[in-house]
Amino acid sequence: MQELIRHTKTINRLLARYGVKFGIYKNGEFNEQLFPFDPIPRIIENSEFQFLEKGLKQRVNALNCFLSDIYGEKRIVRDGVIPEEFIFSAKGFLPPCDGVVPPKGIFSHISGIDLVQSKDDNWYILEDNLRVPSGASYPMIARELQRRSAPDAFSSNSVIDNRNYAELLKEVMDYVNTGGINVILSPGRYNAAFFEHSYLAEKTGAVLTTGKEIVCENDRLYYIDYLGRKQRIGAVYRRISDEYLDPMTFYEESVIGIPHIFEAYKKGSVALLNAPGNGVADDKGIYYFVPKMIKYYLGEDAVLMNAPTYLPYYEDDMKYVLDNFDSLVIKDVAEAGGYGVVFGSSLTKEKKAEFIALLKSEPRRFIAQEVIDFYDLDILDPDGKQVPRKADLRAFVLAGGETKVWPSGLTRFSRNPDSFIVNSSQGGGFKDTWVLSR
Amino acid sequence: MFLPKDTQRQKISGVEIRTSNYEKYCVTDDNFGNRKFYGLIEESHSRFDVAVSGEAQTGLDICEEYTVNPYKYAFLKVQTKLTEAGENIKKYRSELDFESCLGAYEKALLVMNTLHNSFVYDSAATQIHETAENALALGRGVCQDYTHIMLSLLREEGIPARYVVGMMIGEGASHAWVEALCNGCWYGFDPTNNKLVNDEYIRVSCGRDSSDCSVIRGKFYGYVTQRQTETVTVEEKEG
Repeated sequence: MQELIRHTKTINRLLARYGVKFGIYKNGEFNEQLFPFDPIPRIIENSEFQFLEKGLKQRVNALNCFLSDIYGEKRIVRDGVIPEEFIFSAKGFLPPCDGVVPPKGIFSHISGIDLVQSKDDNWYILEDNLRVPSGASYPMIARELQRRSAPDAFSSNSVIDNRNYAELLKEVMDYVNTGGINVILSPGRYNAAFFEHSYLAEKTGAVLTTGKEIVCENDRLYYIDYLGRKQRIGAVYRRISDEYLDPMTFYEESVIGIPHIFEAYKKGSVALLNAPGNGVADDKGIYYFVPKMIKYYLGEDAVLMNAPTYLPYYEDDMKYVLDNFDSLVIKDVAEAGGYGVVFGSSLTKEKKAEFIALLKSEPRRFIAQEVIDFYDLDILDPDGKQVPRKADLRAFVLAGGETKVWPSGLTRFSRNPDSFIVNSSQGGGFKDTWVLSR
Repeated sequence: MFLPKDTQRQKISGVEIRTSNYEKYCVTDDNFGNRKFYGLIEESHSRFDVAVSGEAQTGLDICEEYTVNPYKYAFLKVQTKLTEAGENIKKYRSELDFESCLGAYEKALLVMNTLHNSFVYDSAATQIHETAENALALGRGVCQDYTHIMLSLLREEGIPARYVVGMMIGEGASHAWVEALCNGCWYGFDPTNNKLVNDEYIRVSCGRDSSDCSVIRGKFYGYVTQRQTETVTVEEKEG
């Protein structure tokens, strides 16, 4: 461990050189920040990982069932498990995707599931990210660099090798590939996660492209290389959000998308990872219903719990929320990245009255959750002292022929000691996550 | 570009597509029930023409039955950016006497009638992507604005409604109107002319609002200004 700590500065310097950065938009301005690495790993025992693995696979399988149902028969709405208001008015529900069956029927190939561990040692799901979850590359490269500086630390501590992420990803791409090469579609080098795009392309052997090098012709997708040669594309791991993917179907002004890529996808001649329209399943309002989904589609009880959540949409829940306002955290379902989060106890009297009025006028827009007192992990502060910070874990679940959980993950911690928000868009750093083989 | 399709109301035949410098194209059906064709020109060009002609037999029925999964069209009850109801629309709605209406069909008739008589046709008042809320505040606009306002009011009432683009005899441009799902049938309402859609109408495309239905949509790379002209000719055939 001392060996790892000794090399912290070097590793952070190397990470900066590799361009391991995070872009942050604040007040309309774009700033790039380094994503600080902390050398003290999060350690997950093997038995605990097996439990997480079981729960995560179950959750992602149910979410995939939900997506194929919602863009297909819509049984879960018909059977009254989820009210239709939560589906069709969700920003993530995309009517153009209705009736489209993706290659091999998989919607969420790469899922980033955020969890926290409470002080009583229970794990809770915080949110699901089924659109373009990022972050796997950070622990990958950190591990790679650490192995150079302290190779013994990993074998002597029985840490499971996590360098197989690229292999898992390639497996999924190959599994859904419809005939042709794999590409990673990036918005370009000014994107906040460009490091990740290029790193994953390098590691999986996929071609790193932007929309300008891809054309859609006769419902097939082609990559045009620097000599003007065309190569058929079979799978696109796209790191562009749904709205920008195809200017002919979605946001018309998009210049980073590919005209008619959606038609090629619809006709089954190319796979898109992840499928467009997944936003309906990782909506904060839908989160409440995931345990019900697991029961409905799989006939099982959820292994991993949601944080206790209330929907002001239901009268009973509204009453509970108003009675216990100060102990709850209220989230705006339309916001992401740690924005639109209000802690009931932090509001002044006037603000509180104002917020409650808004809550009453638009109950569908909010969810309320109990504040989970989560487990602190130690980090090394600049003076070399160990201090506690709130931390979460993003687990990566890959769904191809079978659903697999990467034996690692992205552990993020908050920048300030009093903050509960660990989202990287809000500053903060990351740690390596060790899953032990014993 | 959209192609008119056969419906219960109309039969389309002899469709011919002519493009100026491109022979290959693909055809697809989208999830709003439209048919469109599209293609890609890789060579540089300064002009692109496309003409579609054909024959339509109209007025075969007054509505289009719809009996499949009722949730398939639930998204048409949801407002879009262009139809979102603000203060003006909410106020306008509160003044309509929906109480006395028997069902969705009568509500739609009431909206069409009231809107036609209180809104002024003015081709210079509104912009291309005007919202229903703004148009209603101005009190004047074109067929697109009539249609958006009516959609907004119907959706506030929980009635699935869609934007339709098509052609009418005698008009030199495309026209827009509303289709509302009433008792398992899609009925066409034209608030601009205060008419139920009949044999004078040829339907081309439909969607959530005007941005889903523009007859032609395209994208090019280059530093030039573009100009687009559109002509619609509808002639009645003898016999």
